[in-house]
Amino acid sequence: MTLSYAPGDSLAHRLDPRSKLLVQVGFAAAAFAHTTPRGLAALTVLAAGCLRLSGGGPRDLWAYRVALPFLLVAPVVAGATLGDPWFRVDRAADTALASYRVLLVLVVAAAYVRSTPVRDSRAAIQHAVPGRPGQLLAAGVALVFRFLPLLKRDLLTARDAMRARLGDELPVRDRMRIVAVAGIDRAFGRADRLGTALSARCFAWNPTLPRLAFGRADAVALAVGVGLLAAAVAGAL
Amino acid sequence: MATNTESVDLVGDEAATNLARAALFAALVGAFAYVSFPFPVSPAPVTLQVLGVFLAGIFLGPVWGGAALVLYLTAGALGAPVFAGGTAGFGELVGGTAGYLWSYPIAAALVGAIVHRGGDLRGLDAVSVPVLVGAMAVGTVVVYAMGVAGLYLVLELTPAEAFVQGAAVFLPAEAAKIAAAVGIVRSDAIAAA
Repeated sequence: MTLSYAPGDSLAHRLDPRSKLLVQVGFAAAAFAHTTPRGLAALTVLAAGCLRLSGGGPRDLWAYRVALPFLLVAPVVAGATLGDPWFRVDRAADTALASYRVLLVLVVAAAYVRSTPVRDSRAAIQHAVPGRPGQLLAAGVALVFRFLPLLKRDLLTARDAMRARLGDELPVRDRMRIVAVAGIDRAFGRADRLGTALSARCFAWNPTLPRLAFGRADAVALAVGVGLLAAAVAGAL
Repeated sequence: MATNTESVDLVGDEAATNLARAALFAALVGAFAYVSFPFPVSPAPVTLQVLGVFLAGIFLGPVWGGAALVLYLTAGALGAPVFAGGTAGFGELVGGTAGYLWSYPIAAALVGAIVHRGGDLRGLDAVSVPVLVGAMAVGTVVVYAMGVAGLYLVLELTPAEAFVQGAAVFLPAEAAKIAAAVGIVRSDAIAAA
């Protein structure tokens, strides 16, 4: 199962997306500045709290299982040495802490993802990035969300079709070529139809977006975000 | 809902089509994460994401190819499941594979700039195979150099350890992808380019 927005009425769902983004940035900065057992223990409590407040639980983290091998192997690679003493525990411990902080940042990100609908994220980008670059970015991101499932299905269809014709017996580079050509061809076809449709429907630089407003709970979230950034700066100095 | 009372400011046809192409290519790079190929010497199944990065530069050019990958990273950070293995979230952008992700827009722009010799698109039939292969080799170096640097910074490995874990085991598969990419660019099936 993949991590995605889950409708709900939790505290995190009611927060403004901009304050949630600030908390994430602050959290990542604090985790990098305080990579010590004590610092990470405190941040673990905060990360679990964030996930809880978004109505999520451990099963949301299952989506990150593919990131795990990379993070688990790193301390082993760091500890292993050629020759005596073969394994240096101190090096492995440093890298294990670094791996663990990445995991914590992923937990906080999961809380954002499950509590923020796409249109709110889009509005937040448009507020954060000024001018036309921000508007192109916001519109483009919304389109990526919309078209990802379609293109995924195009690719899987192409692969199934290739298999049905004994394509599995071809060399890897031919299989890659066949699937990618089908994917790109479909993507360009969709893009050109979409471009025409956007123009035909008055695609504008100033669309109507959901209203974003800071509420009372946002004051707390913003304070947490600023506090984390301050802690990061204090740790780095 | 916020209401705009000023008049509508239309996006031009060309910008609308370019945005649609960049967004669809970003989604395609994300969709490539779901199609994996077992590869003999690689410890993990190989996906086509890096291939998608090169093709974005080749088909869309340096400006819109780079923009497509910026869209990809932004959408992923905001929760679209486009990163390797279908993950999403801001955490990936500072995680173990952060270096690879940040390198994508740069690699796409660089590959596009080499293939098209600057910012303006030229017909792909005019591009020779050595130029294509050279551009993608440069792109591969950028992706893996930044990926290894990311491992070094984020996971505190030494450069040599980071190279073994983050690049050496994946490089043979990259050669297969470059070979596939040349076949794709020379394919008659893609008419829209």
